Amino acid sequence: MNYEGYIRQSLYLRELPAYQADIPIIHKLFCEMNQSAAYLHAFPNLNMETPITIVDKELMK
Amino acid sequence: MKELTFAAATELAPLIESRQLSPVELTEQLLNRIHQLDSTIESYITPLPELALADARKAERDIMQGLYKGPMHGIPVGIKDNFYTEGIRTTVGSKLFSDFIPGKTAASVKKLLDAGGIMLGKLNMHELAAGSTGTNPFFGTQKNPWNINYMPGGSSGGSSAALAAGLATLATGTDTFGSIRLPAAMCGIYGLKVTYGLVSTDGIFPTAPSLDTAGPMARSVPDLALMLQYMAGYDQNDSASLKVPVPNYMENLSRGIQGLKIGIPTYYMEGLDPDVEILFNHAVEMLEYLGAEVKEMKIPELTMSAFSGNTIVTSEAANTHYEWLQTRPEDYSADIRTFFLAGTLLNPPKYIRAQQARRKMVKAFDKAFQNVDILLGPTIPITTPAYAENWVEQNLEVVIRCMPYTVPINLTGVPSLSVPIGLCSKGLPVGMQFIGKHLSEKLLLQAGNEWENTNPLSFTV
Repeated sequence: MNYEGYIRQSLYLRELPAYQADIPIIHKLFCEMNQSAAYLHAFPNLNMETPITIVDKELMK
Repeated sequence: MKELTFAAATELAPLIESRQLSPVELTEQLLNRIHQLDSTIESYITPLPELALADARKAERDIMQGLYKGPMHGIPVGIKDNFYTEGIRTTVGSKLFSDFIPGKTAASVKKLLDAGGIMLGKLNMHELAAGSTGTNPFFGTQKNPWNINYMPGGSSGGSSAALAAGLATLATGTDTFGSIRLPAAMCGIYGLKVTYGLVSTDGIFPTAPSLDTAGPMARSVPDLALMLQYMAGYDQNDSASLKVPVPNYMENLSRGIQGLKIGIPTYYMEGLDPDVEILFNHAVEMLEYLGAEVKEMKIPELTMSAFSGNTIVTSEAANTHYEWLQTRPEDYSADIRTFFLAGTLLNPPKYIRAQQARRKMVKAFDKAFQNVDILLGPTIPITTPAYAENWVEQNLEVVIRCMPYTVPINLTGVPSLSVPIGLCSKGLPVGMQFIGKHLSEKLLLQAGNEWENTNPLSFTV
């Protein structure tokens, strides 16, 4: 499936709109994110880190 | 003193206190200027002339009766339209909320108003605080007062434009991935992104809650200190609010930067427009001349900023907007809809990986601040662009270029002060940011104050 079909199908499955003009822009953003993800390879132990979360003080009462 | 509409709040306050200046006269001058200029600048969505004048008259009466509240009393302030204001339309720059009238006022705004601030109106913004240019097809595209063919930046574009045009004395802003600092840089004003949790975000429409901050914007550093004095502080209604003492930000602002250790991450020296590089290098020389010790340093973890920032912002915003995207997609402009739709397509492991990268960056900043007092970099790598015909793609391009320079600050939760460093060859301002460790706002304001004394907008390429 090409990128346009993939994005369109993914949006459809989530019951979200897929405007023709939106697809290339979403694709461009995805490409940017994929390119920037390449920098993660320089940090092989990244998966050992505790993810940042918003601490909800209600949980600590 | 400059003319009233461009005067600093810290210059005006003593005149108001000593009854040499009436808050009514000051407010009237600003309202007249808004009336004359804002059909072009489009910095306000909802000007509030009647309310502002009524509040100014009350301030005048109170002061005449000896009930002066302090340096915010009688000072006009513009409020970005994603801060809720009780009984006053709050659009968040979005068609979704074009008729929304909140039942309460945002905590940080309430503090400014309780201190006697005069609300001039609700300021325009990039839709839903999720874009970086200042376009807004629903409420008007904000213009850069230095040249109205150019963007003022976003998302606090109304705030930065109003300040640069003399249409407000002070303004509030919010910063999720650069929305205070980027427009401050483009409009030649000062903007402070605070430590995450220092200023309550209760009553502010969320963009990406784990990154959202609110803060002051002004034409001078002392004015930022003044605003922050009132905006900062613990709020039990904000689950991320910090329970820490609020220092006196106004005190010792003239401490200087002699001996201050400043680190420039090499990451911030890459990919700069030539004019930005020239002005930034000049600023570094000036800081050394003023007595700072400046050195370059490597923080490799910063390379994860673009991935982490884009992933977290789009995912968290998509979460907020998911149902509206399904039911009211036409009520979003295309630049924001595509940004949020991209977030709906990311998977949970990617979001968690982005938050792990963020942890790594926090540790890297902690380590860097063991060696230096302040980190320094250009606020954004580009000079201010003129508006392009294809504003949807242009917003994405500006976000992609600029976010890697601004979002590390949001990802790590540290404060950053954007200050002007001169005018590029197009005659538009360029900015740099002083970055500090958590809760070092006072140090940043002191450094920024010293920098402001160099009259940075007199520097040109």
